[in-house]
Amino acid sequence: MQRDLSSNFYFIFKWVIIISFVFYAVFPFLWLVLASLKTNAELLDDPFKLPAVFQFQNYSNAIREAGLGKLIINSLVISTSATFLNILFSSMCAFAIARHTFWGKNVLFLMITAGILVPLNALIIPYFAIINFLNLYDTRLGLILVYCAVGLPVSTFILTEFFKSIPKEIEEASFLDGCNFAARYFRIMLPLALPGLATAGTFQFILCWNEFIYAMLLTSSTDIRTIQFGISYFTNQFFSDYVGMFAAVVISILPSITVFVLFQERVINGLTAGSVKG
Amino acid sequence: MQIKKDEVVWLLLFIAPTIILFFLFFIIPILFLFVTSFTNWDGISAEFVGLENYTKLFNKKSFVRAITNNLYWCLTAALITVPLALIIALLLAHRSRGWKVFRTVLFIPQVVSSAAIAMLWAAMFNAEYGLVNFLLDYIGFSDYKNHNWLGNVRTANAALIGFSLCYVGYFMVIMLAKTAGISEDYYDAANIDGASQFQKDLHITAPLIKSTFFLCIILAVIFNLRQFEYVYLMTAGGPANKTQVLVVYIWNELSVQRLGRGNAAGVIMIAIGAILLLSLRKLLKSETYN
Repeated sequence: MQRDLSSNFYFIFKWVIIISFVFYAVFPFLWLVLASLKTNAELLDDPFKLPAVFQFQNYSNAIREAGLGKLIINSLVISTSATFLNILFSSMCAFAIARHTFWGKNVLFLMITAGILVPLNALIIPYFAIINFLNLYDTRLGLILVYCAVGLPVSTFILTEFFKSIPKEIEEASFLDGCNFAARYFRIMLPLALPGLATAGTFQFILCWNEFIYAMLLTSSTDIRTIQFGISYFTNQFFSDYVGMFAAVVISILPSITVFVLFQERVINGLTAGSVKG
Repeated sequence: MQIKKDEVVWLLLFIAPTIILFFLFFIIPILFLFVTSFTNWDGISAEFVGLENYTKLFNKKSFVRAITNNLYWCLTAALITVPLALIIALLLAHRSRGWKVFRTVLFIPQVVSSAAIAMLWAAMFNAEYGLVNFLLDYIGFSDYKNHNWLGNVRTANAALIGFSLCYVGYFMVIMLAKTAGISEDYYDAANIDGASQFQKDLHITAPLIKSTFFLCIILAVIFNLRQFEYVYLMTAGGPANKTQVLVVYIWNELSVQRLGRGNAAGVIMIAIGAILLLSLRKLLKSETYN
């Protein structure tokens, strides 16, 4: 009987904790969505009351006012290019490290992965200077290069571990068949490594998509502004039109959440891979 | 695989892009940071000034405040967020009905950008229409009606650090993934001995994911040392520098062209990170083997 009482208590404790945190994580989002469908006057009222009429025009206003379409396209272009380059470079390097022995290999791997631990935001002034020196300030290319580079340690680490886990025999067979270095990488290893590439790619893409400080640091014109940097202008753009601002924030959040819900396992793997193995 | 002579060129070609970018965006910036931190570089000219930047920084109240605030963020994450994440991971580790839904839902803040989260929580804390004040009023704390959480010297920091608990899902997922690898045999043996669920969690699961728990603490410290967006977007370090953190401080130095001074702050930040990581590693290593 004693046991039953304590396990009941444990059961209740468990659900109270889980539900309160679910509340904490999700409730603000729900509130935001509901508020974005109200009028500014209704916003000051009871937050749980449904709006008299759902104000869907807040959304069309927001898209127009904040130029959300352009912001999202800019983010897509920059994040996709940076992810592509990052995965190409890091997988080439990881292939060289994981499958070959050469002088300085271990030092190289250690040095690159140690980059994961550097608090990179301390380097904003040097980054600003370097990008200016390369004449890439306020260009998409500058941002793409920085995004590609800051993600290299994590993706090289994930991919090296992944390449090491692929059996050597397949590659050795192709080696005997006369495949050269590049062919072994492109024809044999890349297809086998697709799951690893997807994991590292997801991590990198989310990193780029959500990045804020370098976008603010390295771009200024509205033509190439990314969505995350664009968010910081909402307060001014919408001035006292709070509901319009909320609608804009909802739209900016929507792509990430949709992708996450659709590809949960992949995203969770991607965002935690580096850490679980390390 | 041993490299054949004629393949050395290929090998070099394959590692070159990563090495070049690594030098350009890791090695050179760090050296550059260190060297210019001893100068009064303003973007145009630079003169060697010795340790002046450092002494000036440590005599600035707002800079010392930034360091202590960063340490608060790290401490909160290490002592509250990660342990809470451990508790939730232990609870979801039973994989009872619907555990995946809870995992997904708790992970959502992690996939949303910090800029959007900052806007969301700035709205939550808003004095006029924010949900926080409404809820407090609703449960009887009517003093807080129209309280400006982020604008008030006394509550700004607490509000900022308090909301960061919503990131509990990330660490929870990492630890939860680790529990998947625990052999069922342990639990079977415990069941034969008549252990309760709580005892199994405490004596089997928790010790087996200890190393992951420590890893999460290290990750939490790194994340909170370099955090920028929340403070910058929600309070900009104010009111009266009360919520200042290191990266926002560096940003402000950059915007007034005191680049040498800003870089000195960057060197201090990297040094703090290194000290925290090394001491945590030492501390946690001795924990693990005892």
